[in-house]
Amino acid sequence: MDEAGTAAFRPGCTVSKIETDAATPVRALLQVSGLTKWYGDEIALADVAFDVNVREVLGVIGPNGAGKTTLLEAVAGLLPVDTGNITWRGAPLPRARRREFIFYLPDGIRPYQDQSVARVLAFFAGVYRRSGAHVAEIVAALGLGSVLAKRVHALSKGFNRRLLLALALIAPHPLVLMDEPFDGFDLRQSRAIGDLLRRIAQDGRALVLAIHQLGDAERVCDRFILLSGGRLRGQGTLTALRQRTGLPAAGLEEVFLALT
Amino acid sequence: MRSPEASGIARAPLSPLLAKELAEIVSGRALWAMLLLVCPLVGYSFVQAVSLYGEASLGAEASPVLARSLSPFDGVLVPSFGAFYVAVTLLFPFVAIRVLGQEKESGALRLLVQLPYRPSVLIGAKLAAVAAAWVLCSVPALSALIVWRLLGGHLAPAETLTLLFGHLLYGLLVGAIALFAAALTESAATAAILALAVTIGSWVLDFTLAGRPGLLAWLAQLSLTQVLHAFEQGLLSASLVLGISAAIAGLAVLTSVWLPPGVALRVKLTRSVACIAATAAVIAAASQIRVAIDVTEDGRNSFSPADERLLASLAMPLTATVRLAPEDPRYVDLQRAIFSKLARVMPHFTVRLASPHAFAASGNDESYGEIEYAYGARRDVSRSTSPREILPLIYGLADLPPPAAAPGDDYPGYPLAASAAPALPWFFGALPLLILVGWFLVRRPPRIDSVLILQQAKEDSHGNG
Repeated sequence: MDEAGTAAFRPGCTVSKIETDAATPVRALLQVSGLTKWYGDEIALADVAFDVNVREVLGVIGPNGAGKTTLLEAVAGLLPVDTGNITWRGAPLPRARRREFIFYLPDGIRPYQDQSVARVLAFFAGVYRRSGAHVAEIVAALGLGSVLAKRVHALSKGFNRRLLLALALIAPHPLVLMDEPFDGFDLRQSRAIGDLLRRIAQDGRALVLAIHQLGDAERVCDRFILLSGGRLRGQGTLTALRQRTGLPAAGLEEVFLALT
Repeated sequence: MRSPEASGIARAPLSPLLAKELAEIVSGRALWAMLLLVCPLVGYSFVQAVSLYGEASLGAEASPVLARSLSPFDGVLVPSFGAFYVAVTLLFPFVAIRVLGQEKESGALRLLVQLPYRPSVLIGAKLAAVAAAWVLCSVPALSALIVWRLLGGHLAPAETLTLLFGHLLYGLLVGAIALFAAALTESAATAAILALAVTIGSWVLDFTLAGRPGLLAWLAQLSLTQVLHAFEQGLLSASLVLGISAAIAGLAVLTSVWLPPGVALRVKLTRSVACIAATAAVIAAASQIRVAIDVTEDGRNSFSPADERLLASLAMPLTATVRLAPEDPRYVDLQRAIFSKLARVMPHFTVRLASPHAFAASGNDESYGEIEYAYGARRDVSRSTSPREILPLIYGLADLPPPAAAPGDDYPGYPLAASAAPALPWFFGALPLLILVGWFLVRRPPRIDSVLILQQAKEDSHGNG
């Protein structure tokens, strides 16, 4: 298995979170600096800077309107920005080449509604030259087997979200950005999907998840960046954020409230 | 500047993209609804055209001269495809917009632009799907050709294929406009309004400004309807084909400029201006090409071969100075019967319109209606609009004897006193029923996960082998 995550992930593995606070040397996969985006007179992102490391799950935390989606779309190159630099392993990554390295899974979309789930999966598998075995593994891991013949417009919100996750897993990109990946899942399903995402990271891909449910974020993510009003209010592991706020026993929710 | 290492996903095979685009367009209601509407439209026009042609043919049985004037191209093909043209103008934008508009509305566009295809490839695939949709939509019109042959009618391959080619170019042009409208707007409904404003607007432009002088005449030339006129006259014009192709390509490039959501508006505008300038330059250059092939069986756009050979041998420039208002019917006759034919065979032929003020100022200008022909230093004046008088005049100016008429190349005409009424059940019953069956088969949910299972089975068999 390589760092680009091109090998198949292994469902069923148990994976623990990476604690990167202990001065473990990690090489930044993606570096974002000075990212600023204005909508007219309103600032959506103000000089945002952060890194994404190999095999980590980075949570982008913030209330509605904090700029989480704007940040992900800007990093993916789907939204023009006013200023900002993005590098990949230290080399500049121009907007036109980001799709070679980063895959962004938007929230609230229902793609190719008149097609069957199987056809949509086959389309992505064909584009990325993924084997049938690999796709079948993803289908099994996400529990999509029962809806393969269904058209996308007939899927429930949860199954539509599973389909989107399947598309992101078929894409072989070393970095995947996901906007609200737990939206539409109940508690049990969220936990299962969280475990799956952790296994994917363990297998070599880096994930950036924009999450507004702090419980989900705390359970799945290795590190966090806290956004509010388009500004970065803090970043680091939960341990580091606790130290910064002076709340050694606090959960992510208390830390977030203290910092914003 | 160091560049990031290759990730191996910079390119992807085209076949999944093309298959997806085709699956998307055939699964939409707009295509099938248009097909159902085209059936009675084309069918009614065809039956009416055959009926009128049959009535004219009754008189032609006794008169070879009248028979020679009966061409199925004018009498049946052009009117039947005229109904198809109306459908393409009014309905095809809805079909083409869906190819992109659906993805914009569902959010799938944000996935699409991340796939390892350049925007130009994405738009090329969508245009290919639009072309495939046009082929499907043309089935009722194509079936009218088959019915005509079954009735015993005559079809000349060259002029029939030219007419089909003209309609294909027109369909692609409408499709390209619709795609561009979908790229510019956020919703399919707004895109439809924009596309129809162009197609119907240019239709109105054609009706209201045709035959007007000056700038209005130039504006009328911009109408999309003009695209078909030459093809309906049996002319395959290089300048027209190149011009329309450039317009389609330009619109496709503009669409690919406006497709990626991550590009700043200023950059898109700059690229659009460059694209429009390049397209305009190509169209302007194409308009200078005078090559046009007369594909009609009766040679209506040409003089006799002997006359054309002699006219082509004239070395000096020939100029016709016309003292007529551009909207004068005599000028239209001259254009059709003489000037357009001369322009095709004589590279140095020029038509000049005398200033309208010269004869408008004096209400009773006796020189109004005169056409002065100048060849070298010699000049002559005529008021005729007939080639039988003008060609000898030109030969006289060039000091050449008229060529001898070649016998046996007269167009025989193809009268056919037939009724297409028996074809009505086909256009109003059987064909719509077949379309509904096709729609049902496309919309039917797959019974099994055929795609994945087949792929898996193939891999298993390779592995076992």
